[in-house]
Amino acid sequence: MKDDTVLTGDGLDRRTLLLRGLGLAGGAVTAAMLPSTVGASDGLPPNVPAWTKSLGPGVLTHPYGQPSPYEGAVQRRTVDWLTADRIASISFTPLADLSGIITPSGLVFERYHAGVPQIDPAQHRLMIHGMVKRPLVLTMDDLQRLPSVSVIRFLECPANGGMEWRGAQMDRVQFTHGMLACCEWTGVLLSTLLEEVGVDPKASWILAEGADGAHMSRSIPMDKALDDAMVVFAQNGEALRPEQGYPVRLINPGWEGNTSIKWLRRLKVGDKPWHHREETSKYTDLMPDGRAREFSFVQECNSVITSPSPEKPMTVKGRYQVQGFAWSGRGKIKHIDVSSDGGKTWREARITSVVLPRALTRFALDFEWDGSPLYLQSRAVDDTGYVQPTYSQLRAVRGTNSIYHKNAIHTWKVNENGSVDNVQFS
Amino acid sequence: MSSSLKAAFTSLILLMLSAGLQAADKAGHYGVGQLATPAQIKGWDIDVRPDGAGLPEGSGSVLDGEVLYEAQCAECHGSFGEGEGRHPILAGGIGSLTADRPTRSVGSYWPYVSTLWDYIHRAMPFTAPESLTDDEVYAVTAYVLYLNDLVEDDFELNQATYHDVILPNQGQFYPDDRPDVANVRCMTDCLTGTLVVHSESPGFRPAMADSSTASLEAAPKAMPKLTAGKSTYDQLCAICHKSGIGGAPKLGDAKDWANRLQKGHAAVLANAINGYVGEQGVMPAKGGFSHLSDEAVTAAVDYMLKELQ
Repeated sequence: MKDDTVLTGDGLDRRTLLLRGLGLAGGAVTAAMLPSTVGASDGLPPNVPAWTKSLGPGVLTHPYGQPSPYEGAVQRRTVDWLTADRIASISFTPLADLSGIITPSGLVFERYHAGVPQIDPAQHRLMIHGMVKRPLVLTMDDLQRLPSVSVIRFLECPANGGMEWRGAQMDRVQFTHGMLACCEWTGVLLSTLLEEVGVDPKASWILAEGADGAHMSRSIPMDKALDDAMVVFAQNGEALRPEQGYPVRLINPGWEGNTSIKWLRRLKVGDKPWHHREETSKYTDLMPDGRAREFSFVQECNSVITSPSPEKPMTVKGRYQVQGFAWSGRGKIKHIDVSSDGGKTWREARITSVVLPRALTRFALDFEWDGSPLYLQSRAVDDTGYVQPTYSQLRAVRGTNSIYHKNAIHTWKVNENGSVDNVQFS
Repeated sequence: MSSSLKAAFTSLILLMLSAGLQAADKAGHYGVGQLATPAQIKGWDIDVRPDGAGLPEGSGSVLDGEVLYEAQCAECHGSFGEGEGRHPILAGGIGSLTADRPTRSVGSYWPYVSTLWDYIHRAMPFTAPESLTDDEVYAVTAYVLYLNDLVEDDFELNQATYHDVILPNQGQFYPDDRPDVANVRCMTDCLTGTLVVHSESPGFRPAMADSSTASLEAAPKAMPKLTAGKSTYDQLCAICHKSGIGGAPKLGDAKDWANRLQKGHAAVLANAINGYVGEQGVMPAKGGFSHLSDEAVTAAVDYMLKELQ
């Protein structure tokens, strides 16, 4: 069983972590650079490479296409010491290698509590019952007959970055911010389904439950259910991936990912929250006074620079595009500012993607690097006026034991040799 | 507000109300799905709430719970609820929530007993969820309460006594009150904190090499059987066969395996594929991973047997 508290590194002494990290990392960087070194320079101008003077494989060599083998390093990864096993565990999205705002389905971070159930869609049912006029059992075909919509929304685990509360720990953007993805989701608005069953006006909460072995369950307030919650069956133009809830899942846009129940089998309408394990023991925020926030759903405004980053070091002096992601569970991104001096001065970055509510938004800033060390930061502002906070501000209110919802301004230290380290200003 | 505006406003409200009524009448509008029968609902309606709604009839004692807990829970959660390895701690830590390293256990952190009953029933034991009877869930719940010194050893949990046990941390949760910080969008001469860098060495850099180089090598036509077996073992079988959960024979423990092998290789394979319940323990069919092929299970068993040599 996975215990989310481990994300703070509880119980592991820092030195042990470092030693383990170094042990694991032997030869890692050079190997990661292999693709660009494959092949001699015989094909470079004025010569012509072999592939230009021959035929390649024909159609249907791969009936379902795959990325180029030279992109083999672009993968989800996990950090094994975070969890007891890989059945109840998490893997991270390789943010530094993403372009635009869509996360390819095969790279979306994974989070399971009982592994991925192998569901036959013909044998899957969605039951909606409780305080309703017409309790229903729906097949996947039934769902497809209802009016559907497609939206682009981010999905983020509230423990994203939770390992950093006590100090900089993970030296990869994949691990500091990679419990994050953004996809196009297609499905039926939950409000449509609730209309179809006829909800009792006294009802105020809905329990969503998965068909996995953990029967993952969360209580969702009726306001969210009637606002923008969706029951989705497709992701990025094709059926959901098994890892993402095939054949059907809930999506609560802008809210902590755990509420977006995968492999959705049941929605029960009621008049009180259920206070299940994932909304009491877990996914509550312990404050310094010993009390805890509950039903802390929103993923607040956040941003991170993905290049440069430990995965994307600076290699030569000169002009660069500082690039990254910004997002807010409350709405649209309004501004992103970038600092190279640890937050003393800031310049507004360009937004380089479409700006959608509750979606990843991309930014870039022209930057001339003269080879001197930098403390690079990004700071996002959303359309509610909320400004992404500093670590000091968050810790002053929340201490260091709340695990979830860490959205502090992140700092990358660019060293004189162009390598990049994770550091913090506190 | 002018009277004409008021009139317009009133008619707008009326329009919205009638739209609301229409919406209420929309039940069944699309005519999709089948009405859920009471029997269908009963099979899936497993949730329990703090007010006791959803708790079934039945009962279980601390003493019965102890036997079940030792057999099915202690491997991961520890005999005293202390948590083995990275597995969740169930007991202790009362009064630690303001400490530098708080312990969030059932006794120290959880607000409701219903959560415990509900979770054990829906998700535990880890490798065989929904395998306990209602009485067994009552018993294990009672025992976890006992491990937290919240009930005596003669306690029996049922629908009535459920209301007698209040967890110490109930009432210490409050609704989300964020935003709780207010940064400003300063552009020049801004305040910065103190730089904190790693004092010892660069931070934690998990390995990136294995997966990135693997894909550059030509993929072997078929994974050698023992490699495939080890891979299946590592990912799936190790959950039980590494520690011996549920009486599983441990990897590399010749004594553990000897009496199983007395029945012969074929019998061991058959039990692994079809499942086995006996005095020595429980083996769900294919370990509960029904997507595995018989060949994959065979390869995993052969890997485990090879580790005995």
